[in-house]
Amino acid sequence: MAFSLDEIIETISAVGVETFDIRTITLGISLHTCPDEDVNLCAAKIYEKIMRTAVNLVPTARAIEKKYGIPIVNKRISVTPIAQVGGACKGDTLVPLCKALDRAAEELGVDFIGGFTANIQKGFTRGDQLLVNSIPDALCSTKRVCASVNVASSQAGINMDGVYRMSEIVKESAERTRDRDGIACAKLVIFANQVEDNPFMAGAAHGAGEAEAIIHVGVSGPGVVRAALASSGPLPFGELSELIKKTAFKITRVGELVGREASKMMGIPFGVIDLSLAPTPAAGDSVADILEAMGLERCGCHGTTAALALLNDAVKKGGVMACTYAGGLSGAFIPVTEDASMCRAVSEGVLNIHKLEAMTSVCSVGLDMVAIPGDTTVDVLAGIIADEMAIGVINHKTTACRLIPVPGKKAGEEVDFGGLLGKGPIMDVLRASPAVFVRRGGRIPPPIHSMKN
Amino acid sequence: MEKQHVVITVLGGNRPGVLAGIARIIADANVNIEDISQRLLQDLFALMVITDFAGANCTFEDFQTRMQKAGEDLKVKIFIQHEDVFKFMHRL
Repeated sequence: MAFSLDEIIETISAVGVETFDIRTITLGISLHTCPDEDVNLCAAKIYEKIMRTAVNLVPTARAIEKKYGIPIVNKRISVTPIAQVGGACKGDTLVPLCKALDRAAEELGVDFIGGFTANIQKGFTRGDQLLVNSIPDALCSTKRVCASVNVASSQAGINMDGVYRMSEIVKESAERTRDRDGIACAKLVIFANQVEDNPFMAGAAHGAGEAEAIIHVGVSGPGVVRAALASSGPLPFGELSELIKKTAFKITRVGELVGREASKMMGIPFGVIDLSLAPTPAAGDSVADILEAMGLERCGCHGTTAALALLNDAVKKGGVMACTYAGGLSGAFIPVTEDASMCRAVSEGVLNIHKLEAMTSVCSVGLDMVAIPGDTTVDVLAGIIADEMAIGVINHKTTACRLIPVPGKKAGEEVDFGGLLGKGPIMDVLRASPAVFVRRGGRIPPPIHSMKN
Repeated sequence: MEKQHVVITVLGGNRPGVLAGIARIIADANVNIEDISQRLLQDLFALMVITDFAGANCTFEDFQTRMQKAGEDLKVKIFIQHEDVFKFMHRL
């Protein structure tokens, strides 16, 4: 049982010096009991169910923080995709449901609530249409609600009508928050192969196969990995991978402990650990720093995709041994404005959107928190999103776009979204138009290797 | 009674009275010391005390608060953590 002083100090340093934390405890809640023809009654049922189910979430997280001395940065909730709940509502808006989510989140003291979501990879239901049309209003009239729309899957292909409509929604949401650099778009993700148990925002939703209520945990700790690499010297690749695996194992074990404890205290089953390296704007809490510690002069230079692939794979291999169930997105996140060293690489002209796109083919998410010029057309946005969806569909992985076309600003100018969303330079995009392609209408068929039965 | 191991770690400058100050709070709370080790890392004094909290006469939160106050008085940083966090991180 006894521990060495070195082991104790390693744990304390991870938290105190290397910014290790549990990034989130996310409580998934099914809202399948809440539909109603009257949108206000539906909103009331949603509010009541969330308040009843999540009443102990924040106190539980605080107690666990104290017991183990590990910070739990975010307490979050994910709910059944609201398009599936709101389809029965008469009228032409689901904004009241979004406001009910926001009010519950605020009163419970949770940071974000995800699930203002639709799945339109194959087509739109009435609920999907209502939800998508409500997104700009919903995001502008709430603070804590996150929206996500799945427009593609390896089984269904890419719904290009959905891609185009979502490009219009991104533009409109940015314009509606022009005075705050289009911040509404930071709460909106467009997915291929969206997972059903993701604890991370803005893409969390409580999927159809999930339990009535369930606890998911997202770990983090880019700083711990970077510190391990910095003190290790020039290791060959096999040993480098081993070192990352060992570090990921330790980080994930703490997530497993926190998840089990939260489950016991709340009487709600423990779902998955998301084995992710999630950066924040804080100094040292950066995925780009890890890549540079591996020997790249700057994140974005040639070799970056290979380095990220190694990192992502080693994190999974180390993490999966440390937990009972892994899930969510599980991999390295590369949200540009949330990672100070990635922003530096953009400012210095080393990291561009093309390299970022390549990087998304080997890590867990996509073009995440990428600020682009405000005059980017809907056609170009649709082209960017379609490319990213294609990477996910063909490679059977999740990809996503969280793009912010910053109204009135040009490439190279700075934006500051505040807090965890960070700040950084606006990245340039190509101007040549994909209009004829993206406006063809219909769905890009799924790849041949989707036919596995 | 099942044991509840709590690990107390003290980091700071090496000066007379640090161990005595910590031990006094532990004794007052009726917490039993099971293992102690300490080391000087250049100028930094590192002390680890493994305790059994099962027979304590106060809550875990009260104990943490008393220790934090002692840390301020003694000008050292004190961490009080349930042993499971170390078990999970460092033991298979």
